[in-house]
This record gives sequence, C-alpha cells and structure tokens, in this order.
Amino acid sequence: MSQEVATSSQPSIIRAEHLSRSFGTLVAVKDVSFEVKKGEIFGVLGPNGAGKSTTIRMLCGILDPTGGTANVVGFDVGKEPERVKERIGYMTQRFSLYEDLSVAENLSFYAGIYGVPRRERKAKVEQMLQRTGLLDRRNQLAGTLSGGWKQRVALASATVHDPPLLFLDEPTAGVDPVSRREFWEQIHQLAAAGTTAVLTTHYMDEAERCHRLAFIFRGSLLDIGTPEQIIERRSLHVAELDVDRAVEAAVLLRTFPEVEEVSHFGHMLRLATRGDVDPEHFARERLGAASIQVRSGRRMRTTVEDAFVAMVRADARALRGERSET
Amino acid sequence: MTFRVFVIAWKELLQLRRDRLTAAMMFALPIVQLLLFGYAINTDVRHIATVVFDEDRSAASRDLVRSAESTGFYDVVGNVRSYAEIERAIRSNEARVAFVIPAEYSADLARGRPTHVQLVVDGSDPQIVASATNTAASLVTVRSAALTVSRLSKSGFARTPDGATLEPSILYNPDLRTAVYIVPGLTGVILTMTMVMITAMALARERERGTLEQLIVSPVKSVELIVGKIIPYVGIGYVQMAVILTLGRIVFKVPIAGSLPLLFALAFVFVAANLAIGLLFSTVAQTQQQAMQMSFFFLLPNILLSGFMFPFEAMPKPAQWIATALPLTHFLRIVRGVVLKGATFHELRLELLWLTGILVFLVTFTSLRFRKKLV
Repeated sequence: MSQEVATSSQPSIIRAEHLSRSFGTLVAVKDVSFEVKKGEIFGVLGPNGAGKSTTIRMLCGILDPTGGTANVVGFDVGKEPERVKERIGYMTQRFSLYEDLSVAENLSFYAGIYGVPRRERKAKVEQMLQRTGLLDRRNQLAGTLSGGWKQRVALASATVHDPPLLFLDEPTAGVDPVSRREFWEQIHQLAAAGTTAVLTTHYMDEAERCHRLAFIFRGSLLDIGTPEQIIERRSLHVAELDVDRAVEAAVLLRTFPEVEEVSHFGHMLRLATRGDVDPEHFARERLGAASIQVRSGRRMRTTVEDAFVAMVRADARALRGERSET
Repeated sequence: MTFRVFVIAWKELLQLRRDRLTAAMMFALPIVQLLLFGYAINTDVRHIATVVFDEDRSAASRDLVRSAESTGFYDVVGNVRSYAEIERAIRSNEARVAFVIPAEYSADLARGRPTHVQLVVDGSDPQIVASATNTAASLVTVRSAALTVSRLSKSGFARTPDGATLEPSILYNPDLRTAVYIVPGLTGVILTMTMVMITAMALARERERGTLEQLIVSPVKSVELIVGKIIPYVGIGYVQMAVILTLGRIVFKVPIAGSLPLLFALAFVFVAANLAIGLLFSTVAQTQQQAMQMSFFFLLPNILLSGFMFPFEAMPKPAQWIATALPLTHFLRIVRGVVLKGATFHELRLELLWLTGILVFLVTFTSLRFRKKLV
C-alpha cells in the first residue's frame, strides 16, 4: 500500500516497511508499511483477529517480525528491542495494575521499572498524581478503583517515564462515556506536548478523534490516512430517510448495486450509497417506483464507521469473487 | 540491571504484606508442620504385647523378664508353655512378641558359658521387628547372652535360630527418637513446599491478572524479573529454616551437632533448585490453580521417595533413581549430616555436587522454556 500521504512535516517516529508475521502456516500480518509522525494520534482499526495486536506487538519489540523491518523511536525494533522498550509506554485494555498495591505504589513501581532513579521517583510520582487528579486517591488500592479511575492510573503508569511514544491497546474498553471523554482530552494534551500515541479501538467515534487512521483487515493494510481522506476515498453518501413500510423499503433498497448499506435507526432508515450517488434522490426514485413513499430525507455526514463497514464488505466481496473463480 | 531487581523485590514484599493470609501461612506452616510431624509421626514403638516361654524358670530368667518389662517396650500379657502356644498368641494378635528363655539359661550364665535367648517377632509390622529386636538385643547383651530372632511369617517361624548375634551400637540418635530424625528433614520438606509453590504461583498470578504483559513490554529482562521475584522468598526460606531448627531444639530437644553457617550456605543451592522447579511450573501453568496443583503433585514423591519418611536404601532401584533426581533427597542427607552428625563440608561435597548438577540442569531448561513463553 502506498496511499501514504504525508500530513505533516514532522519527522516520523515509526517507520514500518513490509512488516510481516506468520505463526506456522497462519499469516497474521502481511507486508504492512506505514509511517507515524511525531506528535500524531494514530488509530489502528480492524475487526478482532485482523492483525492489529500482532502489528502493535511487533512495534513494541515483544514479537519478532518474520519479514520486513520497523524503525521505532530511532531503533530497529528487530535488532534492538530493549532500546525501543525503554522509550515507549504501553497500556493494555486490562489496565495492568497491581490491584493489591495503592495508586502511588503502582506509579512508583512502574517508574522504577522504567529506570526513573530512586531520588527522582518520589517527585515524579507526585507530579503524575497531580497531573491526573489522583492526589486524593493516592493511598487507595488500585483494585478498589472504578473502571474510569483505573484507566487514569494505567495511563499515568504508562507515561510515568515521559515516553515519546505511547501504545494504547483498546484503552477505553469497558469505560463509561464520561471517563472516555476525559481520557481523550488527556491523550490530546499529551499529543500537544509532543507525545505520539498509537492506539487500537473498536469505537468508531473514537477513530474520528485520531489524526490519522490505518485500517487493518485479514493481516493487510486496507487504507491509511486522515479520517476525512478515508471517508472521501469510499465515495459514500448517507441520508436519513423517513419512509412508509420501512422494513419492506430496506429489503428493496438492498437489491441495488448502488446501495452500500441500509440500516434501521429507530423509525428512520439510514441509507448509504456508493459511487457518489445522491442517496435521497436515489431512494425517492426507486422506492417511488415500488409505490413506497419517502416522507422526508436529510443528508447525513458520512462517518468512519460507514467507511470501515464498506471496506470490510468490499473485501469480503472480493474474497467471494476469488473463491468462485477457483 | 540491579536496581530493577530491587524494584521488583520491593513490589513482591509490598504485595506479600497486603496478602496477610499468605504471609501468615508462610510462618504458620512450618510451625504447624513441625508440631504435626514431630508429635504425630512417632515410629517409637512402646507397650508391645508380649508373651514369655520360660523353660528355665529361674531367678535369672525372671530378672530378664522384669527388666524387659521395665524398658516400657514390652508388656508381658501372659506365659506360654510351648512354641505352638506362641504361634497361637501371635496369630490371634494377643501378643506381637515372644521371649523364649531356654532351660539351660541360668546354668549357662552361672558358668559363664555363652547362652542365647530367642525372640519371636510378629513379622507383619517391620517397625515392631526393628524396635523389638533392638531393645531385646541391648537387654540380652548386658547379660552376656546372645539373642536369636525369629520372625513369624505365613509359613510359621523357623525354630532354628538364624544365627544373627545382634550387638547394635547406635551412634547418632542413641535414644532412637523419631523427632530427632524427622525435624531436620522437615526443614527440607517445608522449603520444598513453600519455595516451589510460591514461585510457581508468582508468575502465574502476573499472567492471570495481565500484569505480565505489561512487564514484558517494559525494559525489564527475564532474568531481572526472575531474580527480583525470588530474592524475597529466599529470605523467607531461611527464616522458615531458622524457625524449624529453633523450635526443634526447644520443643523436641533436637541437638545441632554441626555448623549452622555451613548448613545455611549449602541450603542456598537447595533453595535455588526448588525455586527453579517452581519457575518451570509457572512457565507451564496458565492459572494460579494449575500452579498450585502442580506443586502438590511434585510434593508427594518428595515426601515419599526422598528418604524423609522411608529409608532410601530400603526402596527398590527405580524408586531410588527417581529419588536421586529430587533435590530434597540430597538436602536431607546434608541437613541430617550437619545437624545430627556434625558433618563437615568435605563429607557433604558429593551431595552438594548432585544439588549443583540438578540446579544447573533446571536453570538451563527453565530459561529456554521461559524465553519461548514470553514471546
């Protein structure tokens, strides 16, 4: 894939070239190349088992690539994984905290592990507690915190050594909406201060908060770019329609090749069309022919989710095509 | 590298302090085990029902029977008048032992001629055979008579003496008290139990709670992680050993004949070998429960085969081969050697060599496995 568009003049902090990884006969990641610029918030999207985690694990230096190379924070991750590990932060969806240690003890432990000298550790922990609003809870055992607070402590633990690059593996899984928003504020603050964040997520609204996105599906990179670019490339248009006999209308609409997706949203139908077809106009025409009335229509913004679903479906169609040929 | 080891060791101690139950168990376990094994397992045999077949009926023969009774070993439950009656008494469990004093006993003694007393023992219980024989031998010896022992087996017993003239001389545990033998060995058993289980659980717990993943992504090296996790427990192992030996000295009057510094130094290799076994388990176990089960599974052959409960020499060859591969077997010889016999380094160097060999093998094998597992 060489759809890479340099969106900033910043130097790159990750440069993956033809990265591949197979487990026996299973190819988990094949020939993935991309760059992440310094200070970016870079989202890696894809269904479960698509190869997201394998890619991230290779970039973190805990899984050797079976092909290709990756340069992370200035080091070849295959050759000098330890150098890379020292300079990155990593946060898992399980918020790997020691539940039987207090908030401050967790921070102090991770600070120690990442080589913050003992003299500076205490001050560093104080600074992190202050920055993340955890001062009141410093002596609370991590296991007794709610999901949102655990996430904060986990983020603080992952950044206690001020890494220039931060990997976040589904950082907001199982966290309430308010905490998720606060979390994203923190990520943007970190990015503004120069920290690069690479994260995986299933939440499409979160994908749109990223500066750039990479779609990984069945081990391959399907697309990469800003959310706007990715949406634009799909040439999708979306409208919300108020129609009679919505279920019947949906079945009919799905038979046309121009229709990417029809979905029910309450009483409304959400119609996405391919190839720059105007969805409302298209619906009025085709449904009218079947004497189903479109009472009203409203143009909607195309989302990353639409683009994502379209890409996965196109890939599935291509796969079916391949199979029927053979 | 070193500071990370201490960061991890410190974390382990913090966690241990929070986990009151485990911490309490680590110190309660040796004490409870010591009291259980020390008091409950008693192979000292006393009050054995005894019949006497006194063909001599003299003052000398009555004196022998009285002194036999006064040892506390033999309770004379009756007199019999024939070998057939002895057999009947033992078969019916009325008696376990019979003394046969020949008619010429007092006459032989008076003339200073060699004489002998026969002891018929219920062969079905080896403990009784050993104890009854030993005690009788010492009784008879002071009267300059020889003892012949016949075991009663299925086919009856040999009337003819087996010719063994017993003159036991017991060097290191003259009173033959079980506690003296059990307590030093118990240090080895407890160390095996705690060290293997703790290390097996330590990594399984991190894996189960997802913190291992976080550590793998960090710059911590496997060796730092392992050493850091082990250090606090080596300390605990030494404390446990000290507790057992001290209590053994106070409660069970187990004398410590040899050099404690030597014992503690040699114990290091043993502790390390057990920790390596625990780590090996933890590379296999996915959950703490599995780790726990494996540790228990490992403990059983240790208790049974190492010589802790049954003499090594009495086991069949294949069992001895297995036992030789167990660190506990060698440590038992070391700890009993030092505590009971005052053995020196020179005398124990072969056992140390064995322990070191086992350790080197385990560490090599475990680190090969461990590296694979981390990726």
